[in-house]
Amino acid sequence: MKAYLESIVAFTEKKLEQKPSGWHRLINELASTFSDAFDENAKVVWVSSYAFPVELLWAFDVAPFDFEIACNIIPPAISGNGSSIMVTAENQGYARDICSFYRLALGAHFQEMVPKGDLFLTSSYYCNGKAKTNELIARAQWKESILFDVPNEISRSSIEYVSSQLRGIASRLETVTGNRLDVDRLRESIRWSNTARASFEQVNELMKARPSPWDGTKACFLGIAGSLFWGSQLRHELNVMLIHEMESRIQAGKAFPESHRILWFPWVPVQQTNIFTTLKEHQASVVTAESARVYWPEIDESNPFEGLALKALNDPHVGSSQRRVKAIVGLAKDYEVDGAIHFSTPACRHENGSFSLIRDALRDEGLPVLNLEADMTDERNYSADKTMTNLLSFFEILKNSSARGCH
Amino acid sequence: MNQVQSQAGTGVIGWTCGYVPEEIILAAGLQSVRIRGAVPSLKEADAYLFPNFCPYVKNLLDSGLRGEYGNMDGIIFTNSCDAMRRLKDLWDSHVKTPFSFMLEVPKNWDEGAVTYFSEQLAALQRQLEDFIGTKISGDSLEESIRIMNEQRALMVQLLERQKAKTAVIGGSELLALCLEAMSSPKEVFTKKLREIPDQSPSVNSGLNEQPRVLVVGSVIDRLDLFEKLEAAGASVVAFDTCAGLRHWSGLVQEGKNAIENLARRYLLKPPCPRMPGFARRIDQITQLVRDYSIDGVIYSIVKFCDYGLFEAPVVEAELRSQRVPFMVIENDYVFGDIGRIGVRLEAFVEMIKGDLD
Repeated sequence: MKAYLESIVAFTEKKLEQKPSGWHRLINELASTFSDAFDENAKVVWVSSYAFPVELLWAFDVAPFDFEIACNIIPPAISGNGSSIMVTAENQGYARDICSFYRLALGAHFQEMVPKGDLFLTSSYYCNGKAKTNELIARAQWKESILFDVPNEISRSSIEYVSSQLRGIASRLETVTGNRLDVDRLRESIRWSNTARASFEQVNELMKARPSPWDGTKACFLGIAGSLFWGSQLRHELNVMLIHEMESRIQAGKAFPESHRILWFPWVPVQQTNIFTTLKEHQASVVTAESARVYWPEIDESNPFEGLALKALNDPHVGSSQRRVKAIVGLAKDYEVDGAIHFSTPACRHENGSFSLIRDALRDEGLPVLNLEADMTDERNYSADKTMTNLLSFFEILKNSSARGCH
Repeated sequence: MNQVQSQAGTGVIGWTCGYVPEEIILAAGLQSVRIRGAVPSLKEADAYLFPNFCPYVKNLLDSGLRGEYGNMDGIIFTNSCDAMRRLKDLWDSHVKTPFSFMLEVPKNWDEGAVTYFSEQLAALQRQLEDFIGTKISGDSLEESIRIMNEQRALMVQLLERQKAKTAVIGGSELLALCLEAMSSPKEVFTKKLREIPDQSPSVNSGLNEQPRVLVVGSVIDRLDLFEKLEAAGASVVAFDTCAGLRHWSGLVQEGKNAIENLARRYLLKPPCPRMPGFARRIDQITQLVRDYSIDGVIYSIVKFCDYGLFEAPVVEAELRSQRVPFMVIENDYVFGDIGRIGVRLEAFVEMIKGDLD
């Protein structure tokens, strides 16, 4: 994996030399950070960064390794050959009914592609599979796996329960790194997180322009994979690059023409598909994505553990589906979309279980919704023909709905 | 089939997971019933949930949508798993029982988790008080703890009799009793338990000559699997399932701090696959293998249950290293394909018999 990651770093550096690009910088920094986890002196912390307040990690000298993202940006996964890795896990008894993200990570583990971890952090929210995968690999490496348990309700007692766990995790990080927590450094991390939060809101604001100056599916990926950098200066820098790119596109009138404005949720495929080219060909512009939404309040740097607890507790994938329904309908209105696409990866049970409620709420707003069944990373569950047919039918519905002036 | 029968004048609260303390429901003067999927095949749930979604949860939703729980006043869900969390959302939108509560069961089990769970139980108590319009007294909570403890102790006694090679009753008979216990008025069922003689009628019926099987898994609400194993010539002497040993093990400490004592007992009881810690689960299962002189283990997974899908290979690797025969059986909750499963079970039992010979 290290060689794969280094090849991505080299490739994106070349691209960045040719032209500054927030997107290439994101991929470059992800690959570079994950590559650092192979350094034998690194204190490696495995984490699912989209489901953990990583600001805490940036207060320590650790190499965060987000096994889900790392395994999904390497060439086999993005070139439609992820199954060559997954099959190793499947041969060990891990059924294909398990999410492809986790079969991929387990396969990479069995193929000894992943770095050794010093600490394995996972969380109870989003899905069950993430925590189990993290724990399985920790067990295989004879390391401790810590479950960050975030309840589905916000109350004084849940805030205390969650913030007390974060204090415990900080203490474990002290042991792993051999350094005491520097509270000033944690506050600095939170300051950067808040600064980046504000600049990411600017990114989201700019995407409201007609036509939209950026691809919302990329914003979706940034919302998920870019979570790794909350708490670092880098995340703000990425946002600023994107803001400049979007502003110049708007000023130069270079934004891609759009016939349909689409809301995208919740995930994006990492494997090669014909989805994005088909969208482009039909001038369907993804103008916003659920995963790119800033869902949490500013973090209180004077009370960092409670502030980070609130960030976790406010995650839309914590709590009832109604929280997501409300937020997604709000996005649809704010971005004046014509319809929504639900990208459904097969084993994402927590998310697919909410779909009918979200679909019904969007339909109540007069918005057509496409359930695009594919797979984020397992090419065996992907059919280009079926996807094309689904998308074309959806565009027809959008045209008719627009002709009827439904919204 | 209307599965929920209320006692005259008593409200009924259903629950879906063994981490729900029935004591609080009983203390509110309500009947406590573990609800099971009540329909043989799905009709309505498919409109809301994807095909590759837990069939147990889908069956509960379908049963609710079709009015199968007609007399039920409310339901207590837990955050057992992703599917169950979504069931609560859909239930509240489409089934809408007068009372519904999501009990947050921590996944950790340290003191912080016990404290948080205690506060969740206190919140459940308050919500039930609002629902019935009266306070739950400390005395009634203590009394319900005593009632449940007595039933648990009797159930554990019955289940542990299976350890002995000379006093074995049929596993399907035992599972039926466990399921009945979870859905019956407590005093009535406890009386029935007290009347079960030390020597069951099935004793010395030849069961003690048969290969001894442990069934591990999550929810098994029908007898089909156990009956097939028995028909194949095995004896199911223990089951670590939602209705099995782990549900009954451990008493609630009686006396002061009832809510905290409840939190402690429920959170610290033998874990199910939802809890983190493969090592704890493996210890639990291997201990059962030793205590019950097990000859083979069946791991039952309800289709699309991620916990089972992740745990089974780990348990398999451990048991195989101990030379314990092991087989995974996936099922659709109602065991619609029991005929096909039966063939595999027969082969498994034959294999064990061969090993024993």
